[in-house]
Amino acid sequence: MQTWKQIRDREDGKLPSRTFANRIKSNRISDLQLSNHKEIVSSHKGSINSLQIDFSERRYLLSAASDSSVAVYDIQRATNYEGGGVISKHSSLFVVDKQHESGHKYAVSSAIWYPIDTGLFITASYDHHINVWDTNTTKVVVNFKMPGKVYKTAMSTLATSHMLIAAGTEDVQVRLCDIASGAFAHTLSGHRADGVMNVEWSTSSEWVLITGGCDGAIRFWDIRRAGCFRLLDQSRTQLGRRPPILKHSAITKDSSTKLRTAQKKHANGGGSKQLPIGRVPSKGPMKQRLHPGMLSTQDRATAHYGAVTGLKVTEDGMYLLSTGSDSRLRLWDVESSCDTLVNYETVRLQTSKPIQLATAQDSALVFVPCMRTVKAFDMWSGNTYTTLGGHYECVNACWFNQQDQELYTGGNDRQILVWSPSRSIADQMDEGANEDQDNWSS
Amino acid sequence: MSIWNYVVTAHKPTNVTHSCVGNFTSPHDLNLILAKCTRIEIHLLSPHGLQAMLDVPIYGRIATLELFRPYGEAQDYLFIATERYKFCVLQWDPDTSELITRAMGDVSDRIGRPTDNGQIGIIDPDCRLIGLHLYDGLFKVIPFDNKGQLKEAFNIRLEELQVLDIKFLYGCSKPTIVVLYQDNKDARHVKTYEVALKDKDFVEGPWSQNNLDNGADLLIPVPPPLCGVLIIGEETIVYCSANAFKAIPIRPSITKAYGRVDPDGSRYLLGDHTGLLSLLVITHEKEKVTGLKIEPLGETSIASTISYLDNAFVYIGSSYGDSQLIKLNLQPDAKGSYVEVLERYVNLGPIVDFCVVDLERQGQGQVVTCSGAYKDGSLRIVRNGIGINEQASVELQGIKGMWSLRSSTDDPFDTFLVVSFISETRILAMNLEDELEETEIEGFSSEVQTLFCHDAIHNQLVQVTSNSVRLVSSTTRELRNEWHAPTGFSVNVATANATQVLLATGGGHLVYLEIGDGTLQEVKHAQLEYEISCLDINPIGENHNQSNLAAVGMWTDISVRIFSLPDLNLITKEHLGGEIIPRSVLLCAFEGISYLLCALGDGHLLNFMLNTSTGELTDRKKVSLGTQPITLRTFSSKNTTHVFAASDRPTVIYSSNKKLLYSNVNLKEVSHMCPFNSAAFPDSLAIAKEGELTIGTIDDIQKLHIRSIPLGEQARRICHQEQSRTFAICSLKYNPTSAEESEMHFVRLLDDQTFEFISTYPLDTYEFGCFIISCSFSDDNNVYYCVGTAYVLPEENEPTKGRILVFSVEDGKLQLIAEKETKGAVYCLNAFNGKLLAAINQKIQLYKWVLRDDGTHELQSECGHHGHILALYVQTRGDFIVVGDLMKSISLLIYKHEEGAIEERARDYNANWMSAVEILDDDIYLGAENNFNLFTVRKNSEGATDEERGRLEVVGEYHLGEFVNRFRHGSLVMRLPDSDVGQIPTVIFGTINGVIGVIASLPNEQYVFLEKLQSNLRKVIKGVGGLNHEQWRSFNNEKKTVDARNFLDGDLIESFLDLNRSKMDDISKAMDVSVEELCKRVEELTRLH
Repeated sequence: MQTWKQIRDREDGKLPSRTFANRIKSNRISDLQLSNHKEIVSSHKGSINSLQIDFSERRYLLSAASDSSVAVYDIQRATNYEGGGVISKHSSLFVVDKQHESGHKYAVSSAIWYPIDTGLFITASYDHHINVWDTNTTKVVVNFKMPGKVYKTAMSTLATSHMLIAAGTEDVQVRLCDIASGAFAHTLSGHRADGVMNVEWSTSSEWVLITGGCDGAIRFWDIRRAGCFRLLDQSRTQLGRRPPILKHSAITKDSSTKLRTAQKKHANGGGSKQLPIGRVPSKGPMKQRLHPGMLSTQDRATAHYGAVTGLKVTEDGMYLLSTGSDSRLRLWDVESSCDTLVNYETVRLQTSKPIQLATAQDSALVFVPCMRTVKAFDMWSGNTYTTLGGHYECVNACWFNQQDQELYTGGNDRQILVWSPSRSIADQMDEGANEDQDNWSS
Repeated sequence: MSIWNYVVTAHKPTNVTHSCVGNFTSPHDLNLILAKCTRIEIHLLSPHGLQAMLDVPIYGRIATLELFRPYGEAQDYLFIATERYKFCVLQWDPDTSELITRAMGDVSDRIGRPTDNGQIGIIDPDCRLIGLHLYDGLFKVIPFDNKGQLKEAFNIRLEELQVLDIKFLYGCSKPTIVVLYQDNKDARHVKTYEVALKDKDFVEGPWSQNNLDNGADLLIPVPPPLCGVLIIGEETIVYCSANAFKAIPIRPSITKAYGRVDPDGSRYLLGDHTGLLSLLVITHEKEKVTGLKIEPLGETSIASTISYLDNAFVYIGSSYGDSQLIKLNLQPDAKGSYVEVLERYVNLGPIVDFCVVDLERQGQGQVVTCSGAYKDGSLRIVRNGIGINEQASVELQGIKGMWSLRSSTDDPFDTFLVVSFISETRILAMNLEDELEETEIEGFSSEVQTLFCHDAIHNQLVQVTSNSVRLVSSTTRELRNEWHAPTGFSVNVATANATQVLLATGGGHLVYLEIGDGTLQEVKHAQLEYEISCLDINPIGENHNQSNLAAVGMWTDISVRIFSLPDLNLITKEHLGGEIIPRSVLLCAFEGISYLLCALGDGHLLNFMLNTSTGELTDRKKVSLGTQPITLRTFSSKNTTHVFAASDRPTVIYSSNKKLLYSNVNLKEVSHMCPFNSAAFPDSLAIAKEGELTIGTIDDIQKLHIRSIPLGEQARRICHQEQSRTFAICSLKYNPTSAEESEMHFVRLLDDQTFEFISTYPLDTYEFGCFIISCSFSDDNNVYYCVGTAYVLPEENEPTKGRILVFSVEDGKLQLIAEKETKGAVYCLNAFNGKLLAAINQKIQLYKWVLRDDGTHELQSECGHHGHILALYVQTRGDFIVVGDLMKSISLLIYKHEEGAIEERARDYNANWMSAVEILDDDIYLGAENNFNLFTVRKNSEGATDEERGRLEVVGEYHLGEFVNRFRHGSLVMRLPDSDVGQIPTVIFGTINGVIGVIASLPNEQYVFLEKLQSNLRKVIKGVGGLNHEQWRSFNNEKKTVDARNFLDGDLIESFLDLNRSKMDDISKAMDVSVEELCKRVEELTRLH
C-alpha cells in the first residue's frame, strides 16, 4: 500500500492508527538494504561478537569485540555528515579496551545494557569475568568471577523486582549474578555437557529464563523455584494438538489419557512438559507428580542435534526461535512446548560460536546470521524473504532497531553494517543540491 | 503560551461507532444505546421519536458495546470494553437514572501482540461466557457462573493468527464460536470451535468452510430456529451451517454494518461503503434454509452501525456523515427508494482540517471544518454563542427601557413598541406597509420617562411613570383610570403583569395595585426599612395572569426578599453579601423548575431555586456575566421561555437537562431588550445597543451553532484568504460507480459568504492535493494560494513527484501564476520569511520567489534540510521551524539567513508517530501522536552541553483519547479585552471523531489551583463502570504509560458545575475555598469555549 494513501486513510479514521503504524513499519522492513544514508565507523580491531541498543532511549548501540574492546555509538545523532549532509557518520562515543585499567584481557563475548537506563552496562569475556560498568565514568562498579569463558549474558527487560544477570559459560551450570549484592544469586543445574552458549529472558514474565546448552537442550527456568520446568523436545510437534469434535466426543476420558501416554512414550518420556507453571493446567489424571525440577534432570530431550547456538523469544512472548550447530532454525510455541514445524530454508550456520538472532516488529521476519550473510526469513512460512550480503566474513550478531526499522550487523570482518529502508530520494537530493548551485534561471 | 495547559471539549464526539437496541432502562422500555468513541448515550424509543435519557463520558475509547440478558433477568445489561483493555458491565438504576457498575476488570495480558484488525468482544447468546479477541493468537474467556456473576478470565490459544471476525453461534449445547480468518497465502476460511470451559481449551467445532470470498470480512450469526452464520463478502454472501450451504453473488461492495430486523433472524439490513442500504432475506421452509435474497432499499449516510428499532424505524450510525433516523416504507418513492430520512444527527467527524476565521469581523472566531468523507463530505461552520439576525434597525440614542404591547388581549401579535427615554416616551408601531413608524397612544403620558408598561386584561394597557400608574384602553387608546403617587413621593421602580402592579416609591414604600375592568385598586401598602432597587411579579404559577409571589431587591442591606401577594407578607429574606446592590430580579420557570434570578450592578448574576409554595430559596449559585449592570427579561423562542440578560456581555440563560446554561449573544453591548412578536417580524426581539434600536430574530438557543455546507465530495484541506474574501479547498470526488476505485482531485475556490464554488482547478490524473495555504512573498504585494500536491502512482510506494502550484485570485477566478515540480509529495507548506517552506517527503525545502526578466515569477529552491523519515507536519515561527515526523517525534530546525542554510537545532528522541504539531510559544511546542496522546516539548537553549541543547525536553504528557488531525491558534469565543479569560491564549484542535477541542495555556497559579480541584474531583466523580480517570488520562503508548503532567482535563473540572450542593460542599471543604469562589473560577473557564 502507498504511504500517502495510508496517511490519508488514517486522517479519515478509515485506517486505525495502530494498523497504520504497523503497515508503515512492515512496509519499511520489507525494504531493508545496506544503508545509503547511515554508517557506523567501527572502532574494533577484532570480530564483533555482540550488538545491543539501549532500552530506555533506543539511541546508544553497544558493541563487543574479540579484541577485548567495547564501544558505544549514538545512532540517532551523527558525529559528522558526508555527501552534502545526506550520509550521517556515527563514530564511537567511547571505547573501553585492553588499555583500560579494568578492561578485559581476552575477547568480549557479550555486552549488554542495564535495561532500565543507560547508566550501566555489562560486559562478559573469555577471561572468565563479567564486569558491570558505570557508563558515565567508564569504571567497573561490580565484577563477577566466573568458572570459565563467558559466552553470553542477559538481563530481563521486564524485571521490576530483581537485577539479575544470567550468564552462560563453559560450565554446565547457569549462574545468576545479582548486581544489587554483587554475589551469585542462583546456579541453575540441568544442562549436561560443554557449557551453555545462550541465555535469554522471557518477554512475558520477569521470572522465566531460557537457556540453550551445548548439549542441544533448551531449558526453561522459573528462577523462584528449583529446577527447570520445561524442556523443548524436537520430536514433539504441534500436529493434532486439538482433536476434532467428532473424535473427541467418541473417545472416552480414559482412552484420551491413553492417547496422551502413548504420545509421551513416543516423546522420549518427556512427561514433565505437561507441567508448566501457571497457564495450561495439566490435563487428564496424572497422579504421580514428581517435583518438576527433579523430573527434568532425568530428561535428555534435545531441541537440536549438537549445541544450541542462538535463542530469541518473540516480542509477544508466545514463540521461541532457536538455532543449533545442526544448522537448523526452529520456531517453538512456548506454551505447548511444541515445534511449530516451520521449515526455514537455512543453508549453513556457524557452529562454534553463539550467534545473535533478531526479529522485526510484529515478528514477521527473523534475521539469522548465515555465515557471511544475514538471512531474513518469513517467520510463519519459513521462506527466505531476503538475503543481506555485505560482510566479508562470518556474521555473529544482529540487532534490529524497532524504532527506526534498522538492522545492525557485526561480523568477523570487524565491521558494523547498517541496513535500513532504502531512501531512494537520497540520490536525488544531491541533484537538488546541484540545482541550488546551478540556478538555471541564469 | 505556557507549559501549563488546560484541555477542554468544545464540541463532543459525534462519530457513532457502535449502537445496540434492547430493554435497558426497564423491561418495557425499548432503548437505543449509542457509543461515540468516548461517550455513551442512552435513548428511549417513544412515540415522538428518540428521547435522550443519558449522555455520559467513558474513561476509555470504546472497543465493544453489547447488550445481553443474563438468565432469569427481565432486562438487559450493558457490556463495554475499552481499547486499553478495561471492561465493565453496567445496569440501569431507575431511582437515580444513573448507571450502576455490576462488574469491571482489566483483561490486558503481558503475552501476545495487540490485534491489528481491531478488538472483538462477543457474548454467548445463552450467556455462558464473554469472549474477547484482543491479542493475536489468544481468545480470552470470561465465564459467567449460574448466578450471572463473572468468574475469573482465562486465555485459550487460537492458532489462526489473522482473525477477521469471531461470533458465537446460536443454538449450540456448548458455547461455540465461528472464526473468520486469513491464512499465510491470503485465503480466507471459517472454522468453528467449541469452548470447553472445564478444560479451558477449544475443541474443534462442528463444521468449517474453506476458501471463501477474498473480501469476506463480516460474520452474522443467525438465531434459532435457523441457526448457522452468514458470511458477508465483497462479491458473495454465504449462509453456512452444519448441514446447509447457500451462496448468492452480490454487486461488488464492502459491507460496513448490519442490523437484524426480525428476532427469528430471517431478515437483515446491510449498509455498504457507498451508503447503500440493502435488505438480505434468508428464505426458508420451516427450519430448512432454501436460499438467500438481497434487495437494495435506498441511500443513507455511510453506515458504521445499523440498529433496527421497531415498526420499520432504523437508526443509522455513521462515522463519515450525519447519523440518521430513517423509516423503511413499504412502497418506493419516485426515485425508487424505500428509505425516508426522518431525522439527521450532526456529525462533524472526521475533521481532517479546519481553519479559524472571523467572517463577521466581530472578534468572534468561527471554525470552518472539512468534515465527513466520500459522498458525505461537507464544510461545517461552527460558531459559539447565539446570533441575532438583524431585520431592521433605526438610530435612537439614550434608550432607557422598551416594552411591546398588543392592540387587544386576544391579538397573537404585538403592535406597539414603547421606547422610553430620560424625559420622554415614544411609541413605535407597525404601519400598513409593515414599517415601523412613530405613533401615539393618547392615554399614555409621553413627556416623561416610562418605568414600566404591560398588557392588561380586558383590552387594557398599563403604563407606570414616576408619578402615576395609567390604565389605558388598548382599543380606544384612551385613559380609563389613573393612580397617583402620594405627593412628595415619586415612583422609583415598578413592575406589572396582566392583573397586578407592584411599585416602590422613595422611602421604602411598596404599593400593590390590582387591575380590574377600568379600575386600578390599591390593595396593599408596605413600608420597608430601606429603599427598593428592583421588583418583579412575573407569574410563574398556573395562572398566567397573576402571581402569588413578589421578588424585591433592596438597597442598604443588599438583600432580596420574597413577599406573598396580595397581602405583602415577607416570606423570605436572602442577604446577597458584598456591597453591590441588586439591579434586576426575575421570577421564572424553566423545565418546570422555578428560579429566582437576581442580577447585580457589577455584572454578576445570582440564581436560586424557588419553592413557589413556601417561597424558600435554595441552591444559590453565582456567575459572572459581564462587568456592567444587567437587566433581565424573559422571551420565547420555539415555544420555550428563556431569559435575556442585557449588559456589556449579553447572555441568554436557558435550561437543558434541568440545568441552567448560559450562552453569550454575539452582540457587543445591549442595554435593553424586549420581545417583539409582530406580524411582519414574527418571533423577533427589539434590542437597544450602542445608539441603535434593532429588530432581529434569534438563533436556536444552544451553545454551538453548526451550519452544514454539503459538498458531495470530500474537502481535505482548507484555508481562508482575507483579501479576496474566499476559501480555497483541496478536495476529491470518489466515483463509486466504476469498478476500480477512481478519484478526481480539485483545487476549488469558494465565496466566504455564500460558500459556493466560484472557481475550480482540476488536478492531473493521480495527482492529490496535499496542502494549501494563503501567503505572500517578499517584494510582491499580491496574495497567493499555494497548493502542494503529490503524484500517487499505483506502482510507487512513496510519491517521487509532486508540484507546488501558486494561484492568484483574479475576478473570482483561480489563476495559475507559477508551478514548481518537486521530487516527492508536498506534505506541508508554510509562509516563511517572505519565502515558501515546503516539506517534501524526507526533506524540508525553502523556495524563494524570484522575478524573472520577463516580469513573471517563479519559485526557486534556496536551501533544504534532510534527515527525516517523512516530514509530515511543519509549523514556523520567526526563523524557527518545527517538524512533526511520521515516526520520529518533533525536531526543531533553524534557518540561518547569512549562510542561507537550514540546520537542526534540537530534537525529541522519543519515537512518537506524529499526527499534528503546533508552536505554542518560542520555546514550547505541542504535538499529537498516533496513540491518541498529546505532549509538549521545550527547547533548552540554556543547556550546559551540546547534548542538552540538542534535546527537546518533554514537559507535558496527556492522553486525549482522540486522534488529532490539526491544531490551529485561535478561539471560538469573543475576546473581550477586560475579561480574565480574554488574556488566555488558546489553540483549537479537530479530531477524527468530530471533536473540536480547546487547549488553553494557564498562568501557573491558576494551574496549581485547578490541579488541586481536579484531584479532588477525581475522588468525588466516579467514572462510569468504575473506570479510573487518572489511568485514562495517563500518557500511553507501546513503550510506556506515565501519569499525565502539565495538562488538565477541563471536561472533568467543568463538571464541577453539575454537582449537587452537598458534593460541591465536600470539595469546597477539601479545597478550603468557598463554593461560590469555585463556581466562579470554573464558570470563567467555561467561557473559553
